[in-house]
Amino acid sequence: MDKAKLRETLLGGVRSNPTFVLVLGTCPTIAMTGSLFSAFAMGIATTFVLIFSNLFVSLLRGLIPDKVRIPCYIVIISTFVIIVQMVMKKYLPDLYSTMQAFIALIVVNCIILARAESFASCNKPLYSVLDGVSMGLGFTAALCVIGIVREFFAGGAFAGMSIPGFPVMEGVGASAFGFIVFGCMMALFNFLIAKAEARKARMKNATLPLAGHEPQAAEVSK
Amino acid sequence: MNKAKVIPMLKCVLVLAAIALCSGLLLGVFNILTYVDPLQSTYERFAEDTGASFSKMADEEGAEYGNGSVLYYAVSDDGTVHAFLAEGGGGFGGKVQLYVYVKDGAVDKIVAGDNSETYMSKLEEAKFYDSFLGVPLSSLDVQGTDVVSGATKSSKAVKNALNAVVQYYNGKIGGQSNG
Repeated sequence: MDKAKLRETLLGGVRSNPTFVLVLGTCPTIAMTGSLFSAFAMGIATTFVLIFSNLFVSLLRGLIPDKVRIPCYIVIISTFVIIVQMVMKKYLPDLYSTMQAFIALIVVNCIILARAESFASCNKPLYSVLDGVSMGLGFTAALCVIGIVREFFAGGAFAGMSIPGFPVMEGVGASAFGFIVFGCMMALFNFLIAKAEARKARMKNATLPLAGHEPQAAEVSK
Repeated sequence: MNKAKVIPMLKCVLVLAAIALCSGLLLGVFNILTYVDPLQSTYERFAEDTGASFSKMADEEGAEYGNGSVLYYAVSDDGTVHAFLAEGGGGFGGKVQLYVYVKDGAVDKIVAGDNSETYMSKLEEAKFYDSFLGVPLSSLDVQGTDVVSGATKSSKAVKNALNAVVQYYNGKIGGQSNG
C-alpha cells in the first residue's frame, strides 16, 4: 500500500474540501444548512452515497466502456440514493418528510459525479472508498459549520436548543444570508489552509537544508 | 454489417443493461426489507397527529374532485375526530399529500405529508395553514384564500387537496354527523 497516496487521499476532504475549495454541491449547501440537524443529516446521506458509488464505480472501472460511463455512473448513484430514501422513509419518517425533495436531488449532486469521474474511475476500490469517506466527511463538516452559524443567527439556537437572551433576527434565515455565510466561511477556510501550507513550507525549508549549505539564523527565522 | 462498430456498441448496451438489472435487483431486495404498509402508516400518522386512536378506515377507496382527491378517511374510535389523507395536484414537484383533521365540523389541524416540494417550509413560516383552522367546512372558501408568495404552486397544490376534503366532507359526511 502506498502510504503517501493513502495520506493524500485521506486529507483530500480538507485540502480539496468539496464545499470550500472545489465549490461543488452549492445547492444542498444553501438549502439544507438552515439548522445543524438538517445539515448533518444531508451530509451523512451524501457520504453514504459517495462511499458506495465510489466503490462500485471503481470495481467496475475496467468493465464500463468509455462512451457510456456517465449513464452507468448515474444508474449506480441513483440506486444508492433510492436506498437512502427507502431506509429513511422506514426508520426516520419525520426527518424524511422534511428532507425528501433534497434527498432525491443527491443524484445530481456534482460532488458525487465529480469523484466518480475524476477519482474512482481511475483508482483502486480501497482508495476510492477512502476518498468517499474523506470527501463525504469534509462535505458534512462544511455543512455543519455553516448550519451552526445560520441557526445561531437566524434562530438564536444551537442544535435546536434556544440560547436564552439571544435575539432572533428576522430575515437572516433566508437563502441570501446563507450565501453570505457560505462566502465568509469559504474565505476563512482558504485563508487558514494557505497559512498552514505556508507554515509547512517554511518548516520544510528550515529542516531540510541543501547539501553543503548551512542555513543562516536569519533565513530560518523567515 | 461492420463488426468493428457493432461489437463495441453491443458491449455498451449490454454493460448498461447489466448494471441497470443489478440495480433493479438490489432495489427490489431493499424494497422488501423496508416496505411500509401505506394503510398502517396512515393509521399511525392519524393517531400521532391527533392523540386519538383509530382502528379502521371508513373509506379506503377515496374520491376525486378535480385536481384534488381524498385517499383515506377514518373516524377516531371515540367519534370526535374525522381524519383525512388528501392529495393535491399542481405542485412544483408534482402531487402534495396533506393530513386534514376535522373536529366539530371545523378544520382542527393540517399537516403536510409526502411531497417533493422544495418550498413547503415557506407555507408553515407564512402560517398558511392557520388561515383555515377553526373555520367550519360548510362555509370554508378554500380557493378564495391567498397563496404564499414564493411558493405559489405548493400553495395551490395544498388548496387543491384541502378543497377535496371540503367537498368530500360536505357531500358525504357533513349532514350525517354531529362531529
